[in-house]
Amino acid sequence: MMKILGAVLIIGASTLFGYYKASLYAARPRQIRQLIHALKRLATEIGYGSTPLPEALARLSSQCSRPLNRMFGTIADRLRTGSSDTAKDVWQESVRLFWGQTAMKSPERETMLELGSSLGISDRENQLKHIELAVTLLQHEEAAARDEQLKYEKLSRSLGVLGGALIVILIY
Amino acid sequence: MNFDINAIFQIAGIGIITAMIHTVLKQMGKEDMAHWATVIGFVVVMFMVIRLLDELFQEIKTIFLFQ
Repeated sequence: MMKILGAVLIIGASTLFGYYKASLYAARPRQIRQLIHALKRLATEIGYGSTPLPEALARLSSQCSRPLNRMFGTIADRLRTGSSDTAKDVWQESVRLFWGQTAMKSPERETMLELGSSLGISDRENQLKHIELAVTLLQHEEAAARDEQLKYEKLSRSLGVLGGALIVILIY
Repeated sequence: MNFDINAIFQIAGIGIITAMIHTVLKQMGKEDMAHWATVIGFVVVMFMVIRLLDELFQEIKTIFLFQ
């Protein structure tokens, strides 16, 4: 009886792990797309509204969905409180802090970190160009992420179930 | 006798699961990983068989050589 209970627990845990990995693969392209939309909105705020960076980011965070809104909100709050940190430091720290909660990987993070070093320090055209560059890079990453999703989403699901079954048989 | 039957079923189960993992990995275009999975499954089964064979030889030794 206990043996069967343990077997069910092991299979359940590994199945859930596989589904979790699959959901990460599914969430990555979606979040990259949200990030692209957010950056485009930011470009609009900067290009047509000439909104200051904290306000633009605060507006962005109210329009984004879950993992990204907290990141932009934190950056906006910390820029508003007016400590002596530069916008670059605040941006990069917050991006690093909140990156663990997103499903995105290091290429997107590098793009965002690089974008942070050019925001808020130059004129409008320069910033718009940097945002455009970041958007292009992110679009490439999104295509790659979608390929990976097609490849690995089902794979990690079935590997979770099969791996659990294998462990159970091995130690039964 | 009971123990032997269980071991045989265990080995058969490992074979089935390994074959399924191989098929899944191969379908997703990871042939190298599929071959590694098969090799690892083979090695595990090999260890189990060697353990059983070791028991068999111990039995033979106790029966024939050291009375």
